[in-house]
Amino acid sequence: MSNDKILIVDDSDLERELLIEVLKGAGVTNDFLQAKTGEDAIQLLGTRYREICLILLDWQMPLMSGMEFMEAVVKVPAVSKKAIIMVTASGTDENKKKAYNVNPNLAGYIVKPYTPESILEVIRPFVTIREGT
Amino acid sequence: MFFGKQNQDLEKFADLLIKGVVALFKERGELIFTKDPVKERKSIIEFEGKMRADGMEKFNNEPTYVSAVNYYASEADMQKEKVLGALVIYVEQAYLPKLMKLLQYPPVDDESEEAMLDSCGTLSNIVAGRFKSEISSAGYIELEMSHFRTYRNSAFAGVVFCRNEYDMYTIDFEIAEKKRLVLEVSMGIVPTR
Repeated sequence: MSNDKILIVDDSDLERELLIEVLKGAGVTNDFLQAKTGEDAIQLLGTRYREICLILLDWQMPLMSGMEFMEAVVKVPAVSKKAIIMVTASGTDENKKKAYNVNPNLAGYIVKPYTPESILEVIRPFVTIREGT
Repeated sequence: MFFGKQNQDLEKFADLLIKGVVALFKERGELIFTKDPVKERKSIIEFEGKMRADGMEKFNNEPTYVSAVNYYASEADMQKEKVLGALVIYVEQAYLPKLMKLLQYPPVDDESEEAMLDSCGTLSNIVAGRFKSEISSAGYIELEMSHFRTYRNSAFAGVVFCRNEYDMYTIDFEIAEKKRLVLEVSMGIVPTR
């Protein structure tokens, strides 16, 4: 079983599609898992956590927000060290601070709209990129 | 009906919104509006304590997608549903897939109502997030933002807003010399930092 899947958590189908398109276009060869809600993501993480190397997490989601998802994840030792990068429309310093307070191991914070270059720079340590890209 | 002081800086918030949207569209799709966005101060039409948000009247009775986001002064206010601001976005149904394409999003299935609602919500999320950042950069406190709610043609039950306010700004954005996007913003008094 591979352990190099990227889990994308975003309630917007279009944002998830865009993210996958951008990452594939930038040469990322990892497989993707998708969750439309924080609850779905918790379920996926619960059953397939060994396969996931990176979580790309939206903040604004109905019912369980990205922050609430992260609060839940950091309490579970088996998954608390999973690399999480927030991908959000809100880029203020205070929001960033809040996110790092909840998860001091947060691996990055990307503000929408992002460029392929800016996202690649943050996710590079966690993914596999096709040679020559 | 209305209580407390009104926001004397409402126009400033409309300008911050315009600034944010123009920058966002330029960054995202190098999309430049045909002319400067047109803002107009209007009275909020209230129905059963909520702001009326009718999309079809914005585009000559053409079907329209509508998305609304609320702002709150704090997480506690958000829990108590004590609303400080409301942002409503209107895009004509026929133009929404084109607009998303211009913003570099993958193709939208225009025959799927779910996909169209998702598109309008996605658009409102990035616009509302940018507006929130502009407000913070202008020296105001960091606001909390709700998840978007999306509708076809109109928000039947209306949109919650700050009940101290009786005015809002409507802002029209033109692309290729035609009105393509309309925003409405109402905002109560936002404390400075």
